[in-house]
Amino acid sequence: MSFMRLKNVDISYKLENTSVRAVRSFSCDIERGDIVGIVGESGSGKSTLALGIMRLLPPNASLSAETMLFDGRNILSFNQDELRKIRWKEISVVFQKAMNALSPVHKIFTQMYDVIIAHSPDTSKGKAYKMLTELFSKVNLPSKVLNMYPHELSGGMMQRVMITMSLIHNPKMIIFDEVTTALDVITQGQLLDEINRLVREFGLTAIIITHDIGVVNEVCNKVAVMYAGELLEFGKVKDVIFSPMHPYTKALVKSHPDLRIGNELIKGIPGSLPDLTDPPGGCIFYPRCDVRLDLCKSVKPEVSVLGDRIVKCHRIQR
Amino acid sequence: MSGFVRFITRRVISIIPMVLLIVLINFFIIHLAPGNPAQIISGLEQPSQEVIKALEHRYGLDKPLVVQLGIYFKNALKGDLGYSYIYSEPVITLIKERIGATLLLTLTSAVLAFISGTLLAAWSSRYKKGILDSILSILSYVLYAMPSFWLALILILIFSSNLRWFPTAGMFNVRLSLHGFSRFGDILYHLFLPVLTLTLIQIPVYFRVTRSSIFQVSRDEYILTMTAAGLERKKIFNKYVLKNAILPSVTIFGLTLGYAITGSALVEIVFAWPGMGRLMLDAVFKRDYNLLLGIYFVLAVCICIAILLTDVFYAILDPRIRYK
Ligand SMILES: Nc1ncnc2c1ncn2[C@@H]1O[C@H](COP(=O)(O)OP(=O)(O)OP(=O)(O)O)[C@@H](O)[C@H]1O
Ligand SMILES: [Mg+2]
Repeated sequence: MSFMRLKNVDISYKLENTSVRAVRSFSCDIERGDIVGIVGESGSGKSTLALGIMRLLPPNASLSAETMLFDGRNILSFNQDELRKIRWKEISVVFQKAMNALSPVHKIFTQMYDVIIAHSPDTSKGKAYKMLTELFSKVNLPSKVLNMYPHELSGGMMQRVMITMSLIHNPKMIIFDEVTTALDVITQGQLLDEINRLVREFGLTAIIITHDIGVVNEVCNKVAVMYAGELLEFGKVKDVIFSPMHPYTKALVKSHPDLRIGNELIKGIPGSLPDLTDPPGGCIFYPRCDVRLDLCKSVKPEVSVLGDRIVKCHRIQR
Repeated sequence: MSGFVRFITRRVISIIPMVLLIVLINFFIIHLAPGNPAQIISGLEQPSQEVIKALEHRYGLDKPLVVQLGIYFKNALKGDLGYSYIYSEPVITLIKERIGATLLLTLTSAVLAFISGTLLAAWSSRYKKGILDSILSILSYVLYAMPSFWLALILILIFSSNLRWFPTAGMFNVRLSLHGFSRFGDILYHLFLPVLTLTLIQIPVYFRVTRSSIFQVSRDEYILTMTAAGLERKKIFNKYVLKNAILPSVTIFGLTLGYAITGSALVEIVFAWPGMGRLMLDAVFKRDYNLLLGIYFVLAVCICIAILLTDVFYAILDPRIRYK
């Protein structure tokens, strides 16, 4: 049994008189110890999926799925109280916008301590302080940060605080949502190294959401390529990145300076995301695809499973 | 904490030029207003030129404005705010006798309005878009639009004239000379209706601001973090939402306090409250320059202190302020 099994996850946001179908028929299996990268351009539904897994979607969102299993349990049927118990204890998340991820008017320690006693109510302040200092040293943060307020920290420090916070209850799985996006290149590199180390040290299963296929290459063993709310390709990093099958993955790899093969020019992908309030009927990538067939316009491609690899393209099925 | 001390010192020092400027502006505005105090002091419809001259000379009104201002500042530094033409008493004495009553009324109602408006908002936001929330919202509009003196009259009509639960006027029972605790009780008893009026009038602002602030804050990222971390909703609301959501109403508290001190004048008059309301009205109508200036001066100081206290309170709540 997979550690996490998602089957046909659909998430849409209700707006005034339309709805945005942000994630459609998303299916994939994650094994214990996997570090899965999710790549895709802005607006492809990565954060939405992460929130959906945590069951933290805003009230205007609706989630449906055939299966959502986490460590053998069906989290789809969990009530608020059951959810509260697995949140952070078994699965935690580091959010995209770290700068606003903590309350501006409470000290870091206060907030960390509240997270600790949410699941271990008997922990004393002294013990919590010691434990947090230890965790901080793993991400190169001085313990004086505990007595500071969020606005006194830099973006990198704040992101480290959030990473520490996600580790507090020793969860089985952590979702990192674009943790390095807002940071400078040097801090990005350091933080990635730290995450890489921590994930292995704590024996975590992780989902790493990113725009950057280079990050996936460095840290992950599997990768899911998302486009406009759909999963287009999924598999081992060495397969997907080094011999991509879907035209979109190929284009993504080509547009990355360090991963392109030989001396090809870096190429962007012309066009932009389709309208998600009314996604087209055929292949979602049809309008931007340079190897499209007539059939792609009207017929949605089936998911082809090739061993441990998934591709959603008419070209592959033939 | 040194940042905090520096912050307060800076704020206290900034009060001095502010008060001076206010006095300066008041001084000129008052003298620009039409009407001649000498005529009013004389008590005559059409006093002769000699009478006016003599009166103007006696009160220094014939000197150039700048000289008058200089004299005023010089005396003010010595604690002398001049002599009231109409009451024939030192301005400072008149104000001293009444400011306590005004402050008691306005501060009590401002604090009560702040607390009850915030609590009501917190309570009603739990039933967002429910019946209770709607009723409170409509009620707050009605109260917001209601003139204070009218509400005062209605409350007198109901609670004093009909039910006879509360006195109609005054601050204490002049027929009994009470002392100690029973005097305190007597004042509270007289205080009830005027405070109720002013509180009801001020609640809507706090209610509406806090209510929308709560909805705003509930959508903030850190609330999502706390939910994701498995904190209980009640704890998130009481500790994280409320403390963040209360900040805008603290600002408003400072601003309305200034307005409340002068704005309570009408309510004071309706309830014959022995505060500065009547004094202020008399001074305006009878062109009692010194008295008017004195009242404004004291009010300016009160308002500055109120704003200072609000700022300090705000800085305690929000650490980001101290570093700006
Ligand atoms: N609260 C919301 N209400 C309505 N629509 C939303 C909401 N949140 C996201 N969306 C829409 O859902 C789609 C997917 O957004 P999402 O944030 O999941 O993308 P993403 O892949 O995380 O993008 P990015 O890389 O910019 O973070 C977008 O079209 C977005 O406009
Ligand atoms: Mg995102």
